[in-house]
Amino acid sequence: MKKKTQTLMGMAFFGPALVLLSVFLFLPMILTLIFSFTDFFALNPSLTHFTGLDNYFEVFADPDFRLAFLNTVKFVLLIVPLQCGGALGLAMLINKVAYCKKYFKVAFFIPVVMSLAVVSNLWIQIYSPEGILNAILGFFHIPAQPFIHSASQALPSIALMSVWQGMGYQMIIFLGALQGINPALYEAAELDHVTPWQKFRDITLPEIKPICIFVLITVTIGAFRMLVQPMIMTGGGPSMSTYTVVYDIYQTGTVNWEIGLASTMAIIFAFFVMILTAIQNKVSADQDEESSKNKKAFWKRFARTAAADQEADYVEQTTEA
Amino acid sequence: MAFIELKNICKQYKGNPKNSVTDFSLDIDEGEFIAFVGPSGCGKSTTLRMIAGFEDITSGELYIDGRKVNEVKPADRSIAMVFQNYALYPHMSVEKNISYGLKNMKVPADQIKEKTDWAIRILGLEEYRKRKPKNLSGGQRQRVALGRAIVKDSKVFLMDEPLSNLDAKLRVSMRNEISQLHKKLKNTTIYVTHDQVEAMTMADRIVLMKDGIVQQVGKPMELYEHPDNIFVAGFIGSPQMNFFHCKVQDGQLVFPDGAKYQLTNEQNHKLAGRSEVVMGIRGEDIKFSDLYIQQHPENIMDALITNIEVMGNENNLYFEIGGQQTVARVDKYEVCQEGDTRQFVFNPDKMHFFDSKTERTIR
Amino acid sequence: MLNKQQKRKQIVLTALMIAVSLLFLFPVIWLIANSFKSDAQITADMNSLSAFLPPALSENFFKNYTDVLFGTKFARYVGNTLLYAFIVIVLGIIVNGLAGYALAKIKFPGREKWMMIIMLLMIVPMETIITIHFLFIAKVGLLNTVVGYVLPGIVNPFNIYLFRQTFISLPDDVWEAAQLDHCSPMRYFFTMVLPMAKSVVATVAVFTFLGVWNDYLWPSLVFTSGDLLTAQIGLNAITANDNTTTGMTLAVITMVTIPVILIYSFFSKQIVEGVMTTGGKEG
Repeated sequence: MKKKTQTLMGMAFFGPALVLLSVFLFLPMILTLIFSFTDFFALNPSLTHFTGLDNYFEVFADPDFRLAFLNTVKFVLLIVPLQCGGALGLAMLINKVAYCKKYFKVAFFIPVVMSLAVVSNLWIQIYSPEGILNAILGFFHIPAQPFIHSASQALPSIALMSVWQGMGYQMIIFLGALQGINPALYEAAELDHVTPWQKFRDITLPEIKPICIFVLITVTIGAFRMLVQPMIMTGGGPSMSTYTVVYDIYQTGTVNWEIGLASTMAIIFAFFVMILTAIQNKVSADQDEESSKNKKAFWKRFARTAAADQEADYVEQTTEA
Repeated sequence: MAFIELKNICKQYKGNPKNSVTDFSLDIDEGEFIAFVGPSGCGKSTTLRMIAGFEDITSGELYIDGRKVNEVKPADRSIAMVFQNYALYPHMSVEKNISYGLKNMKVPADQIKEKTDWAIRILGLEEYRKRKPKNLSGGQRQRVALGRAIVKDSKVFLMDEPLSNLDAKLRVSMRNEISQLHKKLKNTTIYVTHDQVEAMTMADRIVLMKDGIVQQVGKPMELYEHPDNIFVAGFIGSPQMNFFHCKVQDGQLVFPDGAKYQLTNEQNHKLAGRSEVVMGIRGEDIKFSDLYIQQHPENIMDALITNIEVMGNENNLYFEIGGQQTVARVDKYEVCQEGDTRQFVFNPDKMHFFDSKTERTIR
Repeated sequence: MLNKQQKRKQIVLTALMIAVSLLFLFPVIWLIANSFKSDAQITADMNSLSAFLPPALSENFFKNYTDVLFGTKFARYVGNTLLYAFIVIVLGIIVNGLAGYALAKIKFPGREKWMMIIMLLMIVPMETIITIHFLFIAKVGLLNTVVGYVLPGIVNPFNIYLFRQTFISLPDDVWEAAQLDHCSPMRYFFTMVLPMAKSVVATVAVFTFLGVWNDYLWPSLVFTSGDLLTAQIGLNAITANDNTTTGMTLAVITMVTIPVILIYSFFSKQIVEGVMTTGGKEG
């Protein structure tokens, strides 16, 4: 093949994607970065100034953003241990059970296939003051709770619902990892008279460590991106108790049209997400040291881990549905 | 003028200082069946792909039917190709595979039908015309690939190891089929193979390559009987020709272990002035029969048979000459056992002598 | 084989797990059971076990469903979403597929660099740039249009990557044979490459569908008028309407989920196969 033909063909094939990538990924990324240093206000673009790092100071000083950040951290701190722990626990139980395995896998996976809007709308009903959850609590003589209608309970309520929805997904991932452990390890341990806890700590956990890290990070990133659930269920309230970082980006950018500020928040948000991905990469890099020596390999793997994550997502999402 | 002309063609891949094909020149006549043969990596496939247009020609000129085609797209070179892995369109039926090219060339529908039917008939694919490639055997797939090539009235057929994925038995019968097809259609054919038997049995002429360099071009028996160098002598023929590094002293050939062989006058004349040569002799030219032994009483040697391969139609005898493992092909009626000591002579007319440095044949 | 003691243990464990799973699924059970009830009956059943049981069959059994289908624009929203999904699937397969093919098989300058960039793009959180997307679409006056909704979602780095991984293992000689058969590169892509790689095409199509069907944020930004909404946004609009009863809300929630369940149950095997064969072949 002639080189020129290859170049032309390459452009013809890659061109459409390149145009769309440029307009809808590269350009927005660059603009977000640029706007984050300006006071760009979409309703009056002519007044735009370059403001240096002002936005960054302003965002960190802004009580709304600080609250949103705090709430997001609360979400992460509630969701990550519950969802990961719950998923691991379920996976271990299902791995042990001999009957109805298939049913359990499907049962715990059902909420995963429901969309955020569906789950949110459903749980508005569940959490309703006269709703089914309060009815159940009433059966056990527990007084009715306000759930999403109170500033103190809204955030944990939404967190709980998110855990309920997402857990089945990680459960399937863990189950796959558990089934991949060589049973001979447990048989050997049996001969050494180890306790169940020792078995878990010394065999199971080390064997599934890479998967644990993967799950931890993806769940953390997921919790960090919390937006649709509070948007539908509480509108960020009551008293902004469920207002999150992404909600703030959305509100500032697309409702108030303060693109400059919203961009700054988006950059800060992206920074945290990338750090999480980098940590995950670092951990997997430590596991095979040989290639981590040169920088290029690091970036290649950085990209590849991200790709592998999503690929794993694809596989896992569909494995047992 | 030759139908296909390759003039000093070279191929160098980017980032590789060595040429993959060096100074390949060859004239091919219309209707000829040419085989490119050589060990893997010798540049035979690369040359074929340059003729097809799938590889750029680094330097040199390529003419097909009088037209320089270096810069011509593969589709416009009037060639058809059969690939090693068949390269059938997996989601198309046999019929569609064969007619696909004609359709793209905007041939009228009735002609497409006629040609496709003809190809299917000639290749015996009638039963399978609606089948998809995955439901065909290897031989049938290769026949479809052939069909795809023959319908297009291409002037040149290029075949890139078309039989290497078939089992041994099928290979022999397909070999015969391709030969028959060539006799019928008389298309100029270039056939790449690493199997010298295929080249010997099918080709009008063989081009034997090694490390990107043409070693010898000639009719099969020319290469067999008169190899230009040790490589050709060793590559063509099975079992391989036996080679011995010998000294020449006082009109005698001295083997490494000191055994001596009285050279004929003719041979002495040929080897005049040389002290070292490589002598080559094919297994069938090592003679055990009384008739030969009586004819050459001066050079009778003894062989301690260490192994016998019974081939059915003939036997291969293994023994040592001059401290070196040697194989002789003998008639199946030539019965002997391991451990036997037998007398033999070389057929002096069939002894090959090579320069021990250049490895070229001494003529 | 299980011995007697193990068997007893297993039965206890299974019973326990079934209880846990029912508890876990109570919202879903409640949802389906009550989607067939009138609001009065939902309230009446609330404090008894019948809250988790569907009502007796009557001519009103499907009333909530028919009310949603004929009394709201839900059917239209579903139609919209199917249309959008179809457009994004077709254009996405073309654009991402062509790019994936270029990265896999065409030696154009900068190919390796682009591959790296595509892989890096996969980790950019969409939330970062959705504001800018919205700004773009608003500025060019494409809010409340199908084009405005569809355009940013066509190109997808992950799908490019997925296509590339599959296409790289396609045999080169088929392309060479096609060239000799006077087949142009584009024609080859559409008539040969896509059929040969149909499992990855199915994978991308299914996930694009799920993406469009379940998407909430982007359609909620682009569509403000009633007629163009997607099913998810429509669901929200319907439940927010005062005339919508709780029963209808539950019915609409159920109906929005049905296509997803169908997709999962029909395509899971094929998709896993597709991803498995393409994955792990990173060159």
